[in-house]
Amino acid sequence: MDNQSIFQYSWEILPKKWVHKMKRSEHGNRSYTNTDYPFPLLCFLKWHTYTRVQVLIDICGVDHPSRKRRFEVVHNLLSTRYNSRIRVQTSADKVTRISPVVSPFPSADRWEREVWDMSGVSSINHLDLRRISTDYGFEGHPLRKDFPLSGYVEVWYDDPEKRVVSEPIEMTQEFRYFDFASPWEQRSDG
Amino acid sequence: MSLPLTRKDLMIVNMGPQHPSMHGVLRLIVTLDGEDVIDCEPILGYLHRGIEKITENRTIIQYLPYVTRWDYLATITKEAITVNAPEFLENIQIPQRANYIRVIMLELSRIASHLLWLGPFMADLGAQTPFFYIFRERELIYDLFEAATGFFRGEEAVNWGLSGPMLRASGIQWDLCKVDPYESYNQFDWKVQWQKEGDSLSRYLVRVSEMRESIKIIQQAVEKIPGGPYENLEVRRFKKAKNSEWNDFEYRFLGKKPSPNFELSKQELYVRVEAPKGELGIYLVGDDCLFPWRWKIRPPSFINLQILPQLVKKMKLADIMKILGSIDIIMGEVDR
Repeated sequence: MDNQSIFQYSWEILPKKWVHKMKRSEHGNRSYTNTDYPFPLLCFLKWHTYTRVQVLIDICGVDHPSRKRRFEVVHNLLSTRYNSRIRVQTSADKVTRISPVVSPFPSADRWEREVWDMSGVSSINHLDLRRISTDYGFEGHPLRKDFPLSGYVEVWYDDPEKRVVSEPIEMTQEFRYFDFASPWEQRSDG
Repeated sequence: MSLPLTRKDLMIVNMGPQHPSMHGVLRLIVTLDGEDVIDCEPILGYLHRGIEKITENRTIIQYLPYVTRWDYLATITKEAITVNAPEFLENIQIPQRANYIRVIMLELSRIASHLLWLGPFMADLGAQTPFFYIFRERELIYDLFEAATGFFRGEEAVNWGLSGPMLRASGIQWDLCKVDPYESYNQFDWKVQWQKEGDSLSRYLVRVSEMRESIKIIQQAVEKIPGGPYENLEVRRFKKAKNSEWNDFEYRFLGKKPSPNFELSKQELYVRVEAPKGELGIYLVGDDCLFPWRWKIRPPSFINLQILPQLVKKMKLADIMKILGSIDIIMGEVDR
């Protein structure tokens, strides 16, 4: 389905400092890079004749609290010329900042804002690094695993005060998990 | 931002979030010089419901009611990709009949979505009647369209990551149903609809002719639809409790069956479908758990909307509605 040869090519030609691991499976091509190198790597992939990965599909932050470098930033790329896709994955932690790719891919602007808003991984020299989806004055990064599902504050319109107020959330019942694996069976492990 | 020649006192107008032509709750901060748009800044997030966070605490079946709220005009597409992602991740085969049913539903939802784009779009342009008589009054619509612009080239479209009719209207023949077939799209005879001008008119033409192609696909699918079961009965079995009596033969054909929950193995993948508005993708990371570890939605509207400030610059204020309408966005999808 995918044209695989171009990634074989890029794996062979790229310096090992840029791409330290590359995986191919039926679930897509992946290459792993370090925080300093997404920019040169993506520039290469965009302009090289044999790759031409011109579309940045999305950028996504994934939180893995158990890892040493906690976050993984995934750049999802598409080459319309060769009809193939590649994911560039970078590990980062709270303090490392990833290199922005806004200049080669203008569409990265919003995705980088979203990664900052949702996961709290920031890009160096991003021109407009504001929150994108969350409210004014929002604290925390919702898609981190240590952020509770219910959030910290609740917002409502206070009629006597004639304005929207936000206060710490109060829940009458704790959030509960059930055994969804076999709803008809008794749980054997208690 | 180019500085105006005529005057120094620019007017800043806040359009939305509650504005009849803003397609939901998009807010635009528009800087005006007279009637000319100097700068435009979209503000998102008024419909943000944390859908990706919710997914991480729901099984796929529990999550299905949420997905139709991303894009409430083309709901089937969202449901299709929500079941596609775990299916691909776990390599679950589905019967041919189910495949055909999905294609029919996907194409019907494409038509529904495009029609619901067309109706309000015409209303934005000041034409109320086509809302009710979209097809009959097509000639009138053509005349109306000659006024609307908002133009970009194919190269620009690629750089901005556009997809769907936005991309196909600027000279790039790229339709995931064709180039990267999923379900059984490769078994039908149809053509990718495209235009090379890249303005509002060509986006309009692409969408309208896409509806015709969809009808063609549906007709073929209805003709060719194979018999057989419409679901994979094997995976309906409980995976965990292997010897459960509910896995017995007779129970498998019960009408009322428990939801087929299964663990998502520790893998990751990116699935995509050609939604009416562009490329809809899910980046799914599993973690040997019923709940997905990460469920990243790639909504087409989010990216297609990003080019709006480029399109409206140096246009008149009234053109914003036309151009925004021709982009075809759904805020539920943009904000998630």
